[in-house]
Amino acid sequence: MLIIGVGQPMRSDDAVGREVVSLLQEGGLPDGVSCRESTGDGMSLLSLWEGADQVILIDALSSGAVPGTFRVFDIHKEPLPADFFVTSSHLWGVAEAVQMGRVLGQLPASFLVVGIEGADFGYGATLTPDVAAAVPEVVAWVRAVV
Amino acid sequence: MTKRTIQVEMLARVEGEGALHLETEGEQVLEARLEIFEPPRFFEAFLQGRHFTEAPDITARICGICPVAYQMSACHAMEDILGVVLPPSLRALRRLLYCGEWIESHVLHIYMLHAPDFLGYDSAIDMAATYPDIVKRGLRLKKIGNDIMTRLGGREIHPINVKVGGFYRAPTKAEFAPLIEDLKWARQAAIDTVEWVSTFTFPVFTQDYTFVSLSHPDEYPMNEGRLVSNRGLDCGLSAFGMHFREKHVAHSNALQAEMIAGGSYFVGPMARYSQHFEKLHPVVRELADRVGMSPTCTNPFKSIVVRALEVLYAIEEALMILDAYEVPEASCVEVSPRAGVGYGCTEAPRGICFHEYEIDDEGLIVRANIVPPTSQNQSRIEQDLAAFAEAHLALDDAALTWKCEQAIRNYDPCISCATHFLTVHRHERTNQPSSC
Repeated sequence: MLIIGVGQPMRSDDAVGREVVSLLQEGGLPDGVSCRESTGDGMSLLSLWEGADQVILIDALSSGAVPGTFRVFDIHKEPLPADFFVTSSHLWGVAEAVQMGRVLGQLPASFLVVGIEGADFGYGATLTPDVAAAVPEVVAWVRAVV
Repeated sequence: MTKRTIQVEMLARVEGEGALHLETEGEQVLEARLEIFEPPRFFEAFLQGRHFTEAPDITARICGICPVAYQMSACHAMEDILGVVLPPSLRALRRLLYCGEWIESHVLHIYMLHAPDFLGYDSAIDMAATYPDIVKRGLRLKKIGNDIMTRLGGREIHPINVKVGGFYRAPTKAEFAPLIEDLKWARQAAIDTVEWVSTFTFPVFTQDYTFVSLSHPDEYPMNEGRLVSNRGLDCGLSAFGMHFREKHVAHSNALQAEMIAGGSYFVGPMARYSQHFEKLHPVVRELADRVGMSPTCTNPFKSIVVRALEVLYAIEEALMILDAYEVPEASCVEVSPRAGVGYGCTEAPRGICFHEYEIDDEGLIVRANIVPPTSQNQSRIEQDLAAFAEAHLALDDAALTWKCEQAIRNYDPCISCATHFLTVHRHERTNQPSSC
């Protein structure tokens, strides 16, 4: 199983996915579970998950929900709403990479995307309080799954 | 008479913001503007007071697609000040890194941005449904470019292994070994790419361009050389300011460059190819001939074929460098500061990237001047837009907008990745004499 934390560390709550992965790694993970971090460039993501059977990808959301709440998308059962994911400076983000993987038949057999609603995506190296509070919750959820 | 306005606005991006504005009246284009907002002057200010050794890593952050261009131009400018000349082994490694950037940047543009224009798709994802194997080939090719960057540069974007004087560490032969097998696959994939894009239908559109590129006596322009044009310019880098100047135009935060002698100019693959065709590897020249490309290309829509030929060149070049590779005795030349002014200019995938620095005797940067390729092409792009639009005014707004965006993408501007997120606003209004 591969866990991918996506985010830009200098964009406040955008970094929440990487924060989750960082805590997971600190606490140790079962054998066979590895972690990677990504700034969210969709083309790099496609190669990052290449060859993996099971993937959990964690990224910030901007869907208008309450900051700090999180949603889990099973991408084999539902499309990933592209406008929920914060636009990056790259050509593609997470949603586009998933869509390209789907079109090319290159998605892992099990693929969950965890989206954590952010409040602030401006410049900054820290999470806002509501989003920071969600991190242990998501870590616990991931641990329960793996 | 009906006046048409086509306005294409772009979402704000970290690397810049741009828009297209086209005003027409009857059969005439009144104005064609490419509005770009990019931040190099802020970087020039950030650099003041920083140590000369920081310039490659700071300027790399100007662009996430072509950071090597900024690193190389900054290194060369500093080495020009310090009187440092790199041994052939380190020079070759730098060229290898640049090959990685050309491959990943060109392949991104060919497959993900430009090809969908020719095949009538809104995006590469839509195109992939019909051409899955071709898109897979593009993704694998791009990954090989990224892999060169990672193995030599330390990571695929914003390499961390580049320094003034060379590299922090030279990879071992074993670390490079997997690349060689990948590049052998890439050689055929690049040939297939050239053959594929050369079958596209290209609008009939040629212009009388002033091409400007680097020139090296033995090599296709990439990492060093003099500045030359097809109008007889041939000068050293220190004379850049005598031949080119930047001006501010009201519709753009980016400065637009122009020839001091007058007129716009064109930098990038078509300028390199059309001036230095004979320096391409024989296999590249033969392939160009086979697919019907003449040694001079003046149709910007065919730039996709030129880019594909440059991908093959970069792969051949990378293989030659790796075949001859021996770990250098030292990964860098020791450097120590001295006051002075220096110049660096290298061929970013989309054209010459010029840097000029002044440092003091402690090595602190006093002044920096960076002229990126996109601002050099901006004026030329606007001329292309006006000329192309005027010949295609019979198209409806949607079709005209599509073609104009394609005309911008011919140049692979750094903002092109954002053009896929554009919101298009269409307006038709009655002519208002006072507003003409």
